[in-house]
Amino acid sequence: MKRRDFLKATLSTLLASQLPSRLMAQSGQPVVAVAEGTDHAAVTRRAVAALGGMKVVVKPGNTVVVKPNIGWDRKPEYAANTNPVVIKAVIEECLAAGAKKVKIFDNTCADPRRCYENSGIPAILKGMKNVEVKHVENERFKKTTLNGRFLKDWPLYDEALAADVFINVPIAKHHSLTGLTLGLKNLMGIMGENRGHIHRSIEDALADVNSRVKSHLVIIDATRVLTAHGPQGGSLKDVKVLNKVIASRDIVAADAYATTLFGMNPRDLSTTVTAHKRGLGEMDLNKIKVIKA
Amino acid sequence: MKVTASRISQLFFLALFLFLFIITDYRGKDEISVAVNSFFRANPLVLASYLFAVKGFTALLIPAILTAVFTVILGRFFCGWICPLGTIIDLLTKKMRRSAPIRFLKGPLKYYILFTLLVMSLFSVNISGVFDPLAILIRALTFFLYPLLGYTARAGWSGLYGLAGGGRDHVGFVYHFLRDYVLPFRETFYPLAFLSLAIFLFILFLERFEKRNWCRNICPLGTLLGLLGRFSIFSRMPGRICKDCGECKDHCATAFDEEIFQADGCIRCMQCRVKCRFDRVVFPFKVKKAFASAAGTGKQPVLSKRILLGSLFSGIFLSKAFSFRRPEKDHRLLRPPGVTSESEFLKKCVRCGECMKVCLRSALYPDLMRAGITGIFMPVIIPRLGYCEYNCTLCGQVCPTGAIPGLSPEKKKKSIIGTAVIDRNLCLPYAKKLNCIVCEEHCPIPEKAIRFETVSDVDYQGRKVILKRPYVIDELCNGCGICENKCPLEGRSAIEVFARKKA
Repeated sequence: MKRRDFLKATLSTLLASQLPSRLMAQSGQPVVAVAEGTDHAAVTRRAVAALGGMKVVVKPGNTVVVKPNIGWDRKPEYAANTNPVVIKAVIEECLAAGAKKVKIFDNTCADPRRCYENSGIPAILKGMKNVEVKHVENERFKKTTLNGRFLKDWPLYDEALAADVFINVPIAKHHSLTGLTLGLKNLMGIMGENRGHIHRSIEDALADVNSRVKSHLVIIDATRVLTAHGPQGGSLKDVKVLNKVIASRDIVAADAYATTLFGMNPRDLSTTVTAHKRGLGEMDLNKIKVIKA
Repeated sequence: MKVTASRISQLFFLALFLFLFIITDYRGKDEISVAVNSFFRANPLVLASYLFAVKGFTALLIPAILTAVFTVILGRFFCGWICPLGTIIDLLTKKMRRSAPIRFLKGPLKYYILFTLLVMSLFSVNISGVFDPLAILIRALTFFLYPLLGYTARAGWSGLYGLAGGGRDHVGFVYHFLRDYVLPFRETFYPLAFLSLAIFLFILFLERFEKRNWCRNICPLGTLLGLLGRFSIFSRMPGRICKDCGECKDHCATAFDEEIFQADGCIRCMQCRVKCRFDRVVFPFKVKKAFASAAGTGKQPVLSKRILLGSLFSGIFLSKAFSFRRPEKDHRLLRPPGVTSESEFLKKCVRCGECMKVCLRSALYPDLMRAGITGIFMPVIIPRLGYCEYNCTLCGQVCPTGAIPGLSPEKKKKSIIGTAVIDRNLCLPYAKKLNCIVCEEHCPIPEKAIRFETVSDVDYQGRKVILKRPYVIDELCNGCGICENKCPLEGRSAIEVFARKKA
């Protein structure tokens, strides 16, 4: 072996074992991990592992917010809320990485009690230690300065603001206004007051909020997706089973890749385009490294 | 101090009443197995006015027949052993000093009230719930006292957040226990809260004049039970105040207006028996001629022609005197899901407030004038405040008379409350050329009763825009009102639900 080859091999081994996601996601090429399979907990774990594991994001003693979509009073199979199995796997990974506490909440659209109940999420997490599933409390929305294009300020949920790590776990589904609702739009669940107001300029509003609250990790649940009549659905005819979970530390890249699952181009979503233009992440699929996990 | 069995029973039923009141709520299950409606289903006044108004029967009210039968056997025990309002009166006014009885109330007023209510029912205007003691109590609780409790506790908890921020979670277990098991999920302010409370307080205030003043002189349920109780096979002996003692007059709350025992007043509380120093008081088994007791004393017989005729006329008068309704208010007369006929609803609704208590999204409110004054306290939906949750069927489950029918979720989703109408002068894509369609997003109908057309337009700054303009499919809309509720315009909604004639 020549010396040059030896160095190459050593370096690449080092890179492969130590640095892949940590360096690449932050400074280099954005990485999107995609895992597929019918065991949704395992799929979720594989996707996270492909990014270097949860320990890359969650440090021992961290308070973690896992933000699912629990927006609607629909059972899991209707693909309106995040898959409870995926949520549970994410939380278990957080705890294994040493999280002190994991908090789960969403500001729902339909009645909060019915949404939580029928999402299956509180039930599946019942009895887990250091895990808190709570309804949002109005006084905890804190007027937050955004100085954005559309929103100067808006009340955001204090637990999302205060968390050491914010993990965004949306479900991929159709949305009548924005085309699809993915990671960027899932942040509406930490917004208080009359959220519908932002619909009149939703691309900029979402970029404004996402600039303030960064998702340290985005895990898009595409185990089953809603292809029409979103975001609420209600008919199994509109549900398509994909058995996929997408993970990335770049929220725009995650959204961009997820868009392709619907046969669409990332350019079709104005929310993705605006977020990319405003520097929130990469939307060009050619510049994103996709790892099949 | 001797505690009578009746007092133990009173406390038990009061506790049961409050327990049922609190669990009349969404607790994570689509079905409510028991609710506070049990008290109304066992209420003979509800039964009597239902029979008169509907001219039919519902199996829901079978327990009321049992109460009536037991009253015929045992006398007016309900008032002394069960009625939670009576118990609250007893507990709260124990130490109150009484002045002299109000003479106006000592006449046949209570019979006029009862018979007028029943005659009105006969003419299809059933307002007996307005005077029903249990309904009065639940309304005071639902519309005022329970929200007040919730508001106070929440205000304390929110205040703690202001002081300690997230640190308040260290003492959270106390609050969380209350929140999960006692408090209302959200604080709702109701119209008529003040009136509901005032009626309740007025009943307590009446105690200043006489013990159980409401119960013995006004309460239509008590009066009805008293009439039935006259047939009781247990009579009290001795039948008059003993000359050598006379203490019964002080112990008895309801049956000794005069020297002679009044069978229709006795609530079987047994105070006289327990407290008698001579152990004279007994309630022997004795079949006696009902309605005879008053005849011999020179007092007016209860069911005199005058009272019956007077009530007949006042009932006919009152049933039609307030029938005027403003048509523009009819448009917003949105009744709970499953109510298809306003006149049927007026015949059956007890105005007990349970549907409003249980309503998941606080959509139902007691009405004052939309359906005329005879519709007072009946539930209406105010969508801007709360909408009818698509998958929820709770109001129909707790309605004691089936005025709101108990529907399966499938039928309920298709039952029509009204139809949404878009006001293009307000709606953003039409009026301001801005995108919105929050209403479409929230429409719970899987096929979407609100849809939109996508059009290219030039906005008022001269820029090209693609607009999504909503419209309503009337055939699919059930009028749940979530669109009106969620419309992001400040103040008035650009989409509103209007009542529509149901086939």
